[in-house]
Amino acid sequence: MILGELKRAGIDLVASLPDQWLGDLIKQCEADPAITHIRLAREDDGIGICAGAWLGGRKAALVCQNSGVLLAVNALGGIGFHHQIPLLVIAAHRGHFDDGQYYQMYKGRICEPVLQAMGLPHWVVSNKDEISIIGDAARQAYLNRLPVVVLLRKKALQ
Amino acid sequence: MKRLALAKMVKQRLRKDDLVVCGLGATEAAFKEAAPVNPTYYASDPMGIWASLALGLALARPKQRVTLLAGDGDLLMNLQVLATIATAPVPNYRIVVFHNGAYSSTGGQPLAGKPSFSRVAAGVGFEWAHEARTEEETGGRLDELYGRPGPALLDVWLEDEPCGTAPPGPLSQVEVRTLFMRDIS
Repeated sequence: MILGELKRAGIDLVASLPDQWLGDLIKQCEADPAITHIRLAREDDGIGICAGAWLGGRKAALVCQNSGVLLAVNALGGIGFHHQIPLLVIAAHRGHFDDGQYYQMYKGRICEPVLQAMGLPHWVVSNKDEISIIGDAARQAYLNRLPVVVLLRKKALQ
Repeated sequence: MKRLALAKMVKQRLRKDDLVVCGLGATEAAFKEAAPVNPTYYASDPMGIWASLALGLALARPKQRVTLLAGDGDLLMNLQVLATIATAPVPNYRIVVFHNGAYSSTGGQPLAGKPSFSRVAAGVGFEWAHEARTEEETGGRLDELYGRPGPALLDVWLEDEPCGTAPPGPLSQVEVRTLFMRDIS
């Protein structure tokens, strides 16, 4: 379903770093011959890949955990604001009431406030009924010439 | 070997429809002095992200060759990107490292460690990654670099020359970005 939303938005290039909740989506990206899937070792490289793809006329998304969004803040700012390049980030929203590990909790606490402070649009998808937000978010990114972040809760991914 | 000499040697080997992504600071100053004719996307901060941006461009333009001119400090900031590039489907992507072992545009402070970018690249899966230290050696290696499919990396060791601070040009990055996209569309 999520991959279908990405494809309908014209995205055919996905750069990813795994998260437990993202296993199915990454497997689908890897298996789909219409998708070029790039394996990352660090999330801000995904911001660079998406930006370079857009310069060349191709739409791309970064798939990662919300800790990767936090790591990529400098790249999101430098690319998003300074170059005004749109891209879509699909992130597992770890560390809320639906999560069960101590070490995830800080991510749930600080990811949204950081994005608000940056002034980057972001949307939370709570369950599978709301998946169409992804397509809307992609359109918003391309119209604004800015990155847009979609944070997915557990029920939206599993 | 001076960085302007390397910039000119790369320029001579570019085809008409090649695209270039150029790192910031001393690398940018040298390539601009070499008066490139190919569409060139110039980096800004943050350092470390331009090898991945050039990868995205290469994935979007598989019929065109993309060359990244990478400053050594810039590439050192995000070395793991070489692992991502190594297994990506980009036979059109080549990297030339301008390697003087120092952050030239901030006063010549030495880099941490003594990185060998060719050995790192080979270690993460690049099939072709070499270094060169003289003009003669660099010329031969550049011919090899452009004579075979990528991804491939050439690490060129340079003299540590000072680099002044360039004043801002007349166009903002967004305007430059827009013109670049129009040029290559």
